[in-house]
Amino acid sequence: MQATEAVKLLLGIGEPLVGRLLTYDALGMRFREVRLRRDPNCPLCGGSPTIKDLSIHRAGGDACAATPNGHAAAAGAPAPARAGG
Amino acid sequence: MKTLREMLAEARQVVPEEGPEDLQRRLKSDAPPAVIDVRDPDEYRDGHIEAASNISRGFLEFRIAGAVSDPTTPIVLYCQTGLRSVLAAKALKELGYQTVINLQGGYQKWAQSGLPVVKDVAMTPDQIQRYSRHYLLPQVGDKGQRKLLRGKVLLIGAGGLGSPTALYLAAAGVGTLGLMDGDVVDITNLQRQVLHTTADIGKPKVESGTRTLKALNPDVNVIPLPTRITVDNVMEIIKDYDLIVDGSDNFETRYLVNDACYLAGKTNVHGSIFQFEGMATVFAPNEGPCYRCLYPSPPPPGLVPS
Repeated sequence: MQATEAVKLLLGIGEPLVGRLLTYDALGMRFREVRLRRDPNCPLCGGSPTIKDLSIHRAGGDACAATPNGHAAAAGAPAPARAGG
Repeated sequence: MKTLREMLAEARQVVPEEGPEDLQRRLKSDAPPAVIDVRDPDEYRDGHIEAASNISRGFLEFRIAGAVSDPTTPIVLYCQTGLRSVLAAKALKELGYQTVINLQGGYQKWAQSGLPVVKDVAMTPDQIQRYSRHYLLPQVGDKGQRKLLRGKVLLIGAGGLGSPTALYLAAAGVGTLGLMDGDVVDITNLQRQVLHTTADIGKPKVESGTRTLKALNPDVNVIPLPTRITVDNVMEIIKDYDLIVDGSDNFETRYLVNDACYLAGKTNVHGSIFQFEGMATVFAPNEGPCYRCLYPSPPPPGLVPS
């Protein structure tokens, strides 16, 4: 799926998975599509970003959690999967 | 009898002209125009604007409908200096195309302005055969295959997700693949990480990965990056690529790749798997959400098994 998306993006054809999360359940053999919206309060790409460089990743330990107060988790998003390797 | 000068003057009365910067701006807009290079094929091969299709002046009226079916689609025409194309543009106006613009100064002025051009090197007979099934697809064709061969994709992780992605991209003829992974092959990897073989156990994954990809398609320039992605190397590495494929296996890397791609304006093709479930999405800066919009913070340690 990632390869197909990469080829489409390089060619500029079709509809890439921008703003859509495709989930795949191999046991049930089902695909599900979740619409994703930009979070206006996102600390990176929101209206008033707090992350403007990578310095947060130098802090050590808590680099992932740049969550300002009141920043709610995306509704309906499946739990993040861990493994890739 | 009309002189050439008179014909050109007549054409310019009905055909608006725009300069290279105007075209560059139009190409970056949400509704880019169709760009047609009306020069002869050998001139086109020697250097052209990437977005342009080549329909020589002599075939223009015959082939334009195949390239641009909607007469309201804006069309920009160019030739070497802008003279042949202004006459060609007048012919398209007469055919009923509503917005036809001539690139003022033509290809020559575009190139002299320092704007990007591409040269088509001749495909070898082997390449023509290898990619023949792509040529049959109208959405790919010769032009698309050349785009793939010019494409540069960075694969972060040569594991469960990176392996199949790298194989497919190499097979498709994506010209440059950066393969980044700091690990060595372990026997427990082999049941899913199809870039590596039993003989590779103990070797760096980028070494076995590079060998497998080169064996599949010698056209591909594989750049082995035997290191983990870190805050210190990420910006320097991603700047050389058109696209980033995140096949990493941990949250720190995903947040780092997400942040770096957003800041560098690079599109990130994201994937992850856990047991029997997988997910994929594309994070395109300013076009859609990013990983932090989806997951503002990682789950507490222990919630997601490793």
